[in-house]
Amino acid sequence: MAGSISNVIYQTFIRRNAVFLTTIFASAFAFELAFDTTSNKIWDSVNRGRQWKDIKYRYLNKDEEEEE
Amino acid sequence: MSLSSASSTLLRTCARQQLPTARASVASCQRRGVADAKSSFESPFASANERGSTLKIPNFSKYSSGNSPRSNQVFSYFMAGSLGLATAVGAKATVQDFLVNMSASADVLAQAKVELSLGAIPEGKNVIIKWRGKPVFIRHRTQDEISEARDAKWEGLRDPQADEDRVQRPEWLVMLGVCTHLGCVPIGEAGDFGGWFCPCHGSHYDISGRIRKGPAPLNLEVPQYSFPEDEVLVIG
Repeated sequence: MAGSISNVIYQTFIRRNAVFLTTIFASAFAFELAFDTTSNKIWDSVNRGRQWKDIKYRYLNKDEEEEE
Repeated sequence: MSLSSASSTLLRTCARQQLPTARASVASCQRRGVADAKSSFESPFASANERGSTLKIPNFSKYSSGNSPRSNQVFSYFMAGSLGLATAVGAKATVQDFLVNMSASADVLAQAKVELSLGAIPEGKNVIIKWRGKPVFIRHRTQDEISEARDAKWEGLRDPQADEDRVQRPEWLVMLGVCTHLGCVPIGEAGDFGGWFCPCHGSHYDISGRIRKGPAPLNLEVPQYSFPEDEVLVIG
């Protein structure tokens, strides 16, 4: 069972070096995206209420012109 | 098979270095090599069964993997690939940090633009504002001035440029107030062509900011600007 799964993985991803490298870079891209999103979410939840985007409404609801 | 060849190699080695002290063990080695070639390896120089012997061959069987060779292979390739993944991500982040470090920061970018409302500028008036440390001329041109700038024979000028290429809206002329000769600030509504006149060395610019007379080699420079709303001008 385990042998057949590892065989399938081997034949699909590892056997050809080009496929192996492509897999590595594609998953590096996906990993970076996921890592950045997750760490940003953690940062925002730890610093909730303290960042400019959280308190912006207090200062900018009167005049919209000073947005930038 | 391999054991027997190992034994014969040993035999040859033994035969070469027959020291008197080692003679007994050599003899035993020879005897054993012939007799039980299939049994496990034992050193010819000392008995592994002696107490305190350093020549015991340990048993590694408890460290050997119970999985199939293919799954071991897949595991080690997976680890190598994961290391490659981490390296790629780390290298990309490093390079990106260096490049981002070189780009302009947010406060610099915020100061790089100037916004002004055009409603306060009456027709036929010049306004000079400071943008990135340089003066910028903004002129609300009258219809006469527009037609004068458009009808001029610009093909024969020193720096030939049509008025259409210099303005986005014909009534608003926006340009850097730095003389292209040596960098003085020209005076508005002066000179022989009704535009700008540089007092330093006498360059005359027309109502489109094109050089007409004097030492300056180029027309007054037009910065990047836009009209995000009808009455708002953003330079930069």
